[in-house]
Amino acid sequence: MKTVVIEHLARVEGHGGITVELEGDTVGSVRFDVFEGARLLEPLVRGKRYDEVAAILSRICSICSVAHSLTSLKATENAFEVRVSPQTELLRELLYRGESIESHALHLFLLALPDYLDYPSATALAADRPAAVLLGLRLKKLGNSIQEAIGGRAIHPVNAVPGGFGRAPAVEQLIELRNGLIEGVADAKAAIDLMASLPAADFCHSDTIYAALRANVDSYYAGDEVAVVSDGGQTIVPAADYRTLTNERSVPHSHARHSRFQGKPFMVGSLARLSVNPGRLSGSLAAPAARLDFRLPAGNPMDNNKAQALELAGDVERALEIIEQLLRARIRDEPPAPVHPRAATGTAITEAPRGLLIHSYTYDGEGRILSADVITPTALNAASLEAHLRQTVEQCAERDDAVIAKRLQMIARAYDPCISCSVHLVRRR
Amino acid sequence: MKPLLLIGLGNLLMGDEGVGCFVAERLAEDPRLPESAEVMCGGTDMFRYADRMEGRSRVFVVDALQDKGEPGSVWVFEEPFPGLDDRQEHAHHLSVCQAMALLGMTLAVRFTLLGISIPSAAAGSGLSPALTSRMPAILDRVLQEIIGAPEALLFEI
Repeated sequence: MKTVVIEHLARVEGHGGITVELEGDTVGSVRFDVFEGARLLEPLVRGKRYDEVAAILSRICSICSVAHSLTSLKATENAFEVRVSPQTELLRELLYRGESIESHALHLFLLALPDYLDYPSATALAADRPAAVLLGLRLKKLGNSIQEAIGGRAIHPVNAVPGGFGRAPAVEQLIELRNGLIEGVADAKAAIDLMASLPAADFCHSDTIYAALRANVDSYYAGDEVAVVSDGGQTIVPAADYRTLTNERSVPHSHARHSRFQGKPFMVGSLARLSVNPGRLSGSLAAPAARLDFRLPAGNPMDNNKAQALELAGDVERALEIIEQLLRARIRDEPPAPVHPRAATGTAITEAPRGLLIHSYTYDGEGRILSADVITPTALNAASLEAHLRQTVEQCAERDDAVIAKRLQMIARAYDPCISCSVHLVRRR
Repeated sequence: MKPLLLIGLGNLLMGDEGVGCFVAERLAEDPRLPESAEVMCGGTDMFRYADRMEGRSRVFVVDALQDKGEPGSVWVFEEPFPGLDDRQEHAHHLSVCQAMALLGMTLAVRFTLLGISIPSAAAGSGLSPALTSRMPAILDRVLQEIIGAPEALLFEI
């Protein structure tokens, strides 16, 4: 029996690796071990006041700090039946778009692109093709600038508070962001062109079930229903019933629990969002989708990279639209909606850059957390990723370790997993 | 713009792993910090602060170091950071070494990594007793590096 091991996908020793056992041409076990920091941080919020929770849980991840912060606020507001103003909805959506631009740019240019072009790292790629890396860094910076201007600081936003916003951005800040986004439209187009020029990554075909928020508007933040789609149709799961979607169960080889819907793995993220909401590919994204030869239903998980590139272009446009709306509506500071704590449970689901993010809290009558449940997209994707890793090996005609390992890494990276981003340290060799 | 920037990296909710941020918070209020230096707590994503690094003479990065050293020991690494694991160990963002290499290429910034040996990284707020007791010595050692940098004598008014 032969074993292919990819150890280094996470920073936490012993976690985040892929192990595949091969017996001749037969694939034995396939294991993807996820270290999930979110689970470890849940106990830290027990007993905390409702207005402290978002700031704490935003630290689960630095890349997704906006997603955790806003999902946390939405869960708290759902628990206390708080309705925020239209201006707050727009500002939160804009903040979310900033995070998505930043996250997708980072993933596509600094992590996925070196795989496609056969470079060992972004630094090696930058030495040969600096323009490609600089394009990604410009887009990432654009996303950062939105988050800093709207969120109040570069990471772990402070402006979004229960019931509303602490301080609205100044008109001058919005105009500056608008100018940056106008330049970003050309960069996003260049990103599509670059993605369209990459060699095909066509080594895993699979009937995949997708799950994403179903929203009447193009939003990562709004919506309270998850649609699960497959060739066979669509099932709707209300946010409050999220446990019927997740059905979490422990697996012996991974720190994170696996989720299955009606016994089957499902995929969340960009590809799932477009599969559930195909209308988003009409209008201005129709031409980029054709340029990328992106088609639905998607049977190749590597298409998640194309979906991220399309979302990147859509995010820049949507951010511009929101800023225009805010300027037309004469944005101004407004007091947050009043919050009246009570004993209640609130659940929220939003679309983090890498897929569905669930926060669910139970509060006591004083507005202190009794229990918290945080389920990340990476945990939701774990079972689906393992299934795709298995299919990748099964469909690989070559039994060459290097070829198999490269394809496994590319599939894992296409999911853009957040394996252990709550941890950040360096190690000696 | 001050010529020196110190960025403390880490997650304040992951115990000793957040030591870089704890050091930054303490140094920001330390009267011994030279006028030529600015201090920031950077969380776990160095790229967010690329704008603030641009134009600096030197950037000190303080981060937790997983090794077998005595907890609280401060180790100084200069580019190209020999002895450090520079593999891409994260599917989600770049490793510290890779991020410094890439930012060094694109921003022409010189990086110095100050690694602090930690006994463990586990969920929890606050530092372990071992690191807490060593904090004064850690601050002294980090300040020694900053004050000793030739760029510390530069100060743009």
